[in-house]
Amino acid sequence: MEEIKHYEPFEVDQHLTANSRYYAGRMGSRFYVALRDQQKILGAKCPKCNKVLWPPRSTCQVCFSELTETVEIGPLGTVETFTVVTYNEPVQPRKAPFVYAVIKLDGADTGMAHFLDEVDLDEVHIGMRVRPVFARDRKANILDIQYFKPL
Amino acid sequence: MKRNVAIVGGGQTYHAARRHDVDQVEMVNEAVRRALDDAGMTIDEIDTVFLGNMEFFEGVHMTDCWLVHGTGAYGKPGLKITTGGTVGATTVCVGAHHIASGLFDKALCIGFEKQEEGDTGAILSGVAHPLWGRSLAGAAVGYFATMGSSYMATWGATEEHSAMVAVKARQNARKNPYAHLKLDITIEDALNSRMLSYPIRMLDMCPASNGACAMVLADEKTAKKRCKKPVWIRAMDTAHNEQFELDWRFVDTKRPIFSKVCAARMYKKLGVKKPAEYFDVFEVYEPATWAELIWYEDLGLCGPGEGFRLVEKGMTNIDGPIPVNPSGGVLSTNCIGASAMLRVWEAALQIRGDAGGHQVPKDVRRALTTGYGGTNWTVMTALSKTLDD
Amino acid sequence: MVQKEQEWISIPMTVDVPYRFAAGQYLTKYLVEMRDNGKIFAVKCPRCKRVQLPPRIVCAECHVKNEEWVELAQEGTLVAFTIMYLPLTDPTTGKPHEPPFVYGSVRLDGATSVLDHFVNVEPDMEKVWVGMRMRLVLRPKEQRTGDLSDILYYEPLPGQVRPK
Repeated sequence: MEEIKHYEPFEVDQHLTANSRYYAGRMGSRFYVALRDQQKILGAKCPKCNKVLWPPRSTCQVCFSELTETVEIGPLGTVETFTVVTYNEPVQPRKAPFVYAVIKLDGADTGMAHFLDEVDLDEVHIGMRVRPVFARDRKANILDIQYFKPL
Repeated sequence: MKRNVAIVGGGQTYHAARRHDVDQVEMVNEAVRRALDDAGMTIDEIDTVFLGNMEFFEGVHMTDCWLVHGTGAYGKPGLKITTGGTVGATTVCVGAHHIASGLFDKALCIGFEKQEEGDTGAILSGVAHPLWGRSLAGAAVGYFATMGSSYMATWGATEEHSAMVAVKARQNARKNPYAHLKLDITIEDALNSRMLSYPIRMLDMCPASNGACAMVLADEKTAKKRCKKPVWIRAMDTAHNEQFELDWRFVDTKRPIFSKVCAARMYKKLGVKKPAEYFDVFEVYEPATWAELIWYEDLGLCGPGEGFRLVEKGMTNIDGPIPVNPSGGVLSTNCIGASAMLRVWEAALQIRGDAGGHQVPKDVRRALTTGYGGTNWTVMTALSKTLDD
Repeated sequence: MVQKEQEWISIPMTVDVPYRFAAGQYLTKYLVEMRDNGKIFAVKCPRCKRVQLPPRIVCAECHVKNEEWVELAQEGTLVAFTIMYLPLTDPTTGKPHEPPFVYGSVRLDGATSVLDHFVNVEPDMEKVWVGMRMRLVLRPKEQRTGDLSDILYYEPLPGQVRPK
């Protein structure tokens, strides 16, 4: 159409803000209460598969059993994989450089993603033994573990 | 349909404003276990899983992926469905299509919403066009309010008529142990409830509920072998309106709007001449009282402008000749992702004779259900007791 | 083990999503004409002749391209309304519209579609009715930005009496 040429493309910048509140449920609440009050890390045990799952959950995804038993895992663990983040982006919780690692806590069959701090970036390696550093002021969220650090 | 499809099991959670005791996975899993128990199946027997839920209504994305252990979808094919208020019915539709096509024999369909966790109003405003109405987004209540004012002005109905629908829904809900708003209210209570947006009062609107529903669908061979009371899906259809053209508010419109178009196609497929006689029970999607009156007219249960007369005469009561929403409907329970599925599941319970306290007191052989949502669209499902009905 | 009463843990989150939205050719013409010249434009379908607002490239019913532009009168008829008693937040600014206020659908003369907006009338059932004649009021030109909020509100044409 001829006349459309007369109009510059029209764009607007807007934003949507949404509040939400996530409920951790049966297993999640047990995990966070134990973490906050006792500095204990819990996994859920599947008796049928004989596996300990983190994060703890009420259903085993493999055999569909209802899970009710929690067991303490860690606090020591082993780095299964990691990355050194060297760029900054607003959504990231920290300024680069920092280390994200997947840590398999002793006694668990699945890994936990968390920060690895107090570590020489050149020394980080798969198989590294680490331990958690708990926050002093704990609020029942995953940052009650501030980070992991090498033994 | 290429192959017949039956509902061979189902289940729902109880519905409530607060479910702090469970996370989303645990809540969904309650409905899934009930549906599998009802179908007499294990999760291993299920070929595919479809999950319906509104994107970000709980503040989370991709619930199909991260609820995978609770839904039983781990390692199985499946899809996530997000179609607004119709999502639960669309999920059943998708399940039925996959079985009818011969691709799968047994499908698990799930709908859920944990409304208390999210900011439904803010996320819903994202449905409105950023430059054409988002700054004026009046939430669902404003839409239904303008519908009500148009209905009254056009047909001469009064607020008493919407109050009758409000009372019918909540009194029916009292007979349904799973319903959210089980209120022993009178017409006076409804008329005295707080005005939200004229003519919509508090008791004219649905609640914000948490809850889940799950259904197991199967092909004819499996259904006949495994299920004592299969309920057959006889026809399904979907119709959209045009974006921006919110004709449902102008009740005398002559334009071919989604609800009438969809009903006409359904009736043609099934050879229905008199829907009020053909079907024994209806479960319609009515987020507000006025929407139920308009469904009566658009489904052809009466003539245009006569919907409020039906409720006035008690025709659509649980023991009336044309029972509509014996479960209490969306007005009593609205966990959005599950609401349209609950219509189908409640209709199936009526056909099975398993609705308990809210079973309609007559032989139920056929049922029609509707969903409603998005920028005005519907998904309809017709069910029957046998393949000869 | 003595089980103390279960505590249910929850975590609040706020997500703020910025986005840039392109109006596209048809709506751009509408918005720019409203902002710069105070004119309201619609498109007419060559087949069904419906005059559609907001302007759009395709008539959804006929599946044909809309190419004829029609300038609309800025008077019309109220076809539906509500008196809103809930504070309504403008999701694009976060600012509330203070209740009660009247909000309605007006079919501008010559249009098939309606255009929803605020109605500048007392929130009183005796003062507003379906069928009322309305005039569209735009913000002063210097305040207009190219958004539906460039329309301030509708206001009733003077001298109308509520029909019995």
